[in-house]
Amino acid sequence: MSNDVSPTNEPEEFRDPLQNYDPKSYKDPLEKALAEETVTAIQCTPVATISPDTPVHAAVKTLAGMQVACLLVEQDGRLAGVFSDRDVLDHVALEYEQVKDRPVGELMTTDPIYVYENDSAAAALSIMAVSGFRHVPVTTIDQKVIGIVSPQRVTEFLRKHVMN
Amino acid sequence: MGLYENIRSEPVSRLTLREPVVVSPEATVRDAVRQMRQGKLGCAIVVDDERRPIGLFAESKLTRMLSETPQAIYDLVLDHVDKQWPTVSLSDPISCVLAALEFANIRFLIVVDDQGRLAGLAGQKGLMEYVAEHFPRQVIVQRIGGKPYPAQREGA
Repeated sequence: MSNDVSPTNEPEEFRDPLQNYDPKSYKDPLEKALAEETVTAIQCTPVATISPDTPVHAAVKTLAGMQVACLLVEQDGRLAGVFSDRDVLDHVALEYEQVKDRPVGELMTTDPIYVYENDSAAAALSIMAVSGFRHVPVTTIDQKVIGIVSPQRVTEFLRKHVMN
Repeated sequence: MGLYENIRSEPVSRLTLREPVVVSPEATVRDAVRQMRQGKLGCAIVVDDERRPIGLFAESKLTRMLSETPQAIYDLVLDHVDKQWPTVSLSDPISCVLAALEFANIRFLIVVDDQGRLAGLAGQKGLMEYVAEHFPRQVIVQRIGGKPYPAQREGA
């Protein structure tokens, strides 16, 4: 039986396969932030949450009282939907007397588009620019709600990187 | 040029402006809401005979109204508009839009022409599209939205 590996062979000198790798450089600070920062670099807390059983009139009062445009609807700690000013406009305003005591779960927007906390900042921007949603919930990998990205918060993020 | 320079030098007319929902001063809040639903827009602008903006009625105002006095939906919308709503001109730099959206904490901005007549509506979506246009490799290629990861590994 022959042994191809000679014990006298010197091990090859280690060569780092990434030694010639040039990290990508960005001319624009916003481009760099969009590519390299996670969505949590955009302010995403505090966040207002309600349960699907909340009556519509109470949800409307919460929106108005907290001066927010969107509430996240949570069930068992997980995102079940969103209830926003747009839902009030589309499903509540003209029918208020008929729907005010119904649970918000019946009128909320189900299956909202959301991002994971580890997604890039560009992901939230993409949802706003491409899909046209103004509020983007942020969740953990197992769907636990941790925040929301609003238009104002994205604008603040843009200004921070564009104007500074 | 980069976004930094463009946002200072390019005019508001470069943004994709939305067609505003326009109502007359005689319209009720209900009328405005119907038109806002139809136009899929979160605000309505009351204009005079020469299409000069008198005020803006936003969906946030509607929510507040319903939480306090739901019957006010039968009022004239003119009684509930914000008459001091910020405006920008078509020739103003885009940086004005960015500043107004952040500092006034609003989602829409009335855009007027040189004669002060309503020319459109600037908003968050138009601004996001403008940014996305500058960085398509970062923004446009993104996976849209989360999708629950499978509980079990797939395959053998």
